[in-house]
Amino acid sequence: MKPGADRPAPPRWAERILRATAPERDVEPMMGDLAEEFSRLAGSDLRAARIFYWRHALRSIPSNVPRRAGDAFDALVLGRPAHATLNRKDARRGDDAMTSLVNELALALRSFARRPRFAATIVATIALAISSVTVIFGAVDGLVLSPFPFPDPDRLITVGSAFPKVGAELSFMENLSPAEYLDIAREARTLDAVVAWDMGNRQITVGDDTRNAFSAFWWGDAMPTLGMRPRYGRGFSAEEIRSGAKVALVSSRFFRDRLAGDGALVGRPLLVNGEPYTLIGVLPERTLVYGTDLWIPMSAAPDLFPRGRRQFQVLARIAEGRSIADVNAELDLIARRTESAHRGAQPEYERWRLEARTFVEVNVAFLRPASIALAFGALFVLAVATTNVASILLARAVERSREMATRLALGAGRGQIVRQLSVEAFVLTAFGALAGVALAGQGIGAAQAALSRLPFPLPGELELSARVLGFATAVSAFAAFVFGLTPAWSILRSGRRSSLVAQGIGAHGLGAGGRLRAQRVFLGVQVAFAALLVCCGGLLLRSLARIQAVEPGFDAGRLLGFRTTLPQARYPNPASYAKFFERAQADLRAIPGVEDVTLASQTPPAYFSNVTFLIDGQDAEREGAMKRAFFTTVSPSYFGVMGLRLLEGRVLSPDDRGETARVAVMNDAAARRYFPNDSAVGKRLRVGPKERPLFVEIVGVVSSARNRGLDTSPQPELFATFAQAGYPNQLMTVLRTTLDPVSIVPSVRRTLASIDPLQPIYQVQSLDQSLGNQGLPRRMATSALVLLALFSLALAAAGVYAVSSYVAAARSRELGLRIALGATGASVRRFIARKALLPVAAGGAAGLLGGVFASRAMGALLFETRPTDPLALGAAISLLGLVAFVAADAPARRASAIDPARALAVD
Amino acid sequence: MTKRGGTDDDAGRPGRFEEIVLLAVARLEGEGYGLSVLREIEDRAGESPAIGAVYATLERLEAKGWIRSSMGEATPVRGGRARRLYAVEPSGVRALRHARRALDQLWDGLELKTPRRRAEASR
Repeated sequence: MKPGADRPAPPRWAERILRATAPERDVEPMMGDLAEEFSRLAGSDLRAARIFYWRHALRSIPSNVPRRAGDAFDALVLGRPAHATLNRKDARRGDDAMTSLVNELALALRSFARRPRFAATIVATIALAISSVTVIFGAVDGLVLSPFPFPDPDRLITVGSAFPKVGAELSFMENLSPAEYLDIAREARTLDAVVAWDMGNRQITVGDDTRNAFSAFWWGDAMPTLGMRPRYGRGFSAEEIRSGAKVALVSSRFFRDRLAGDGALVGRPLLVNGEPYTLIGVLPERTLVYGTDLWIPMSAAPDLFPRGRRQFQVLARIAEGRSIADVNAELDLIARRTESAHRGAQPEYERWRLEARTFVEVNVAFLRPASIALAFGALFVLAVATTNVASILLARAVERSREMATRLALGAGRGQIVRQLSVEAFVLTAFGALAGVALAGQGIGAAQAALSRLPFPLPGELELSARVLGFATAVSAFAAFVFGLTPAWSILRSGRRSSLVAQGIGAHGLGAGGRLRAQRVFLGVQVAFAALLVCCGGLLLRSLARIQAVEPGFDAGRLLGFRTTLPQARYPNPASYAKFFERAQADLRAIPGVEDVTLASQTPPAYFSNVTFLIDGQDAEREGAMKRAFFTTVSPSYFGVMGLRLLEGRVLSPDDRGETARVAVMNDAAARRYFPNDSAVGKRLRVGPKERPLFVEIVGVVSSARNRGLDTSPQPELFATFAQAGYPNQLMTVLRTTLDPVSIVPSVRRTLASIDPLQPIYQVQSLDQSLGNQGLPRRMATSALVLLALFSLALAAAGVYAVSSYVAAARSRELGLRIALGATGASVRRFIARKALLPVAAGGAAGLLGGVFASRAMGALLFETRPTDPLALGAAISLLGLVAFVAADAPARRASAIDPARALAVD
Repeated sequence: MTKRGGTDDDAGRPGRFEEIVLLAVARLEGEGYGLSVLREIEDRAGESPAIGAVYATLERLEAKGWIRSSMGEATPVRGGRARRLYAVEPSGVRALRHARRALDQLWDGLELKTPRRRAEASR
């Protein structure tokens, strides 16, 4: 026997299934048995061992679940512990006080125990439907409906601006200047608790561990604005904000993970960028504004900044008794006053607008299309699942029609039978709901884990709140129960005209024809919803394929990127930044496996920094012609490292220094937009205000990278050297490697530590990886929807199979006769399959139409794919047709092989 | 109207699979537990039931008083989980003898011919 550490472990999911389904008293010995055999088999053949384990875990479900259910029933209704099951029958016999309801429950359970596969199918269907609805509603609730823990989130607003003079494409820019913030804070009567903030990076040292913390810098105490109280301590005082005091609040997450949740640390010093700050409080749980872990006062007062420095976000609460329309009316007045006062010095104020939107809308709007699509997807799956349950129950009712007829004949009232069937529906739904909620608990954890890999901070954390659970379970259970009553309802209806005599003649029980009709209607509905989902899934997959075929415009393979932020305390000025970064660039180049190194203020695919300019000689007279482009400061090696092609002129060189003429390189997206008719090279741009103009000459044009993500075309971009534009204190470093980029991370860290051991790096990843991360939301939404579509397809296939088997069974005598009279097997197969496939065709057509409509509604999720994309829809419908055909043909094939003598001899 | 189906009404006769499991437990002479019973059935009867079905049957046999169970020791191979050992009770031995006698008497003197197909036609 190998040592314990290397011994292969049994498949985890099979173990979970076993643990979830086996009766409590048998879980341990049963798992032990399987583990023992697994480890024996694994010695020679691991695959066989896994197959063995899975086979037993799955095949045991039909015998395990009813026993576990029986135990649960005993514990719940009879108040007996689960392992006292051995003598439960004796015990129940003695309990005369039991009501008839309990008897009916027991009867229902026993009838399921007799048909464990039937009961397990229904319970599993309901459970899967309820859990998918619950998980998806949990995610939608957590991400879109109530992502923030703030009370009255509808009254928390953020202010955006729009400058038609500059970049008309940005209609809601969340960045305001300090002067604009002060105007709003002083003048707006419709807003309370107006605060402004900015984000950046600080390094926090705990013990000897220095790590980067994404931070927020505040003018004002945001706690009243958010409507929250700190979990520990207090918020900022007015005096602390005014003086820029060295006090700090940290997030609950940070408090838990890095301060070990020690409340005694509040009031003690915290080392931020090497300086002692006083930790005055801890933010409440889940209060992660843009994922910031550290909150400190802004170090400078707002009136010290120039009016044009727009980088601050404004948060406020709508005043009591006012509406967001009142706020916007007042913001409009403020904007007009600013326009008339400052338009002379700052032409961009002409016709500028201020607008308030709720914080929730601004921050979760981008998640909304996917969330809505998935929520509808879940509801459609629920619809398919419930109709599926209804048709299985109907089929079962047909099988039991003799039992029912006998009981009617023996004097049982129709009421009693209906009641028994209702109790059965209730019990099935209840078990389904219980299992569903348990599954949902697992599912929401998995969803949270998946979502935490997203490249942006999530607004909220997912949880199975009582609200979500209550809503999803109520909706699903209600639907399942109502559909579960279908057989009872059909008995009530048919009971009026049928009698035992009719049973004798009709042979196929209560209203068999009516049931077939109902089943086929159900089947049509199932197929319609499944087709809709499969079509949407097909379109999303096609979009995904399209977007994955998009060239990023730069050579992302073998590039490693990371970000560095130099703290003010150790790096006080641009000269010190330059010293650090130039040394880092040179030292990193010496690492084996590194081809070349470059520095950049930003790298594709996620750009943020931009510049406005005028074309000299062309736009000078018309101030309104402000142009906008992304502005990236780079070291000259940038173009080579990123693999951008030179199209015209030259790239930047180390000779473009502070003392020489200011030059820039343009990407061809900018060249085509701003110089459509002639060459950009040699043209001069005027950057900066009229009083202090700065002229920059375009010396070259390079190919465009997708700088706003793969799903948008490349935007205009300008490049200048650090030597001319100045080093910022925060930079991306990009290394082109000959090895796997991630494998050289340790040498990178070592190299940088030899320059400054206190300096951390962050956002370390290959550029391939960051491209992949950007596509992650789309991939997640797509895979979630495709999963739902496949699930509904499987259910619909089961529905087709059920109807086809039903036709085969109900018509067995007729079929026997046909065969006896010389019909071929093929014609019989066609006859049966047609019965089942007709509703498929009708439902499929309806679903296809619905799919086109639905995908129009989810246009935001599609990429270069029209809702009528023939390839995607054709593939989806073919898949549906193929699955339906196979499901319909299997019972038909069996029926066509029937021995006519045997079929005719029935009864 | 509590119609009682189920096996306790006819506790005197084991069902077919019950008989197989009971025989396996008897053959293992006190060393029977879920896995060994399963292996015994696979080796001797050529059937491969799911472990869950074996446990369900063992529970039923115990409820009828034909076998008794006791917990064994936990081993690392089993992930630290204990075996539940089964042994046949005297009433179990009686039930097996009874079942065998019934079958033997039915077999006695019988020479089988292949029955005609019609025979199984009725449902």
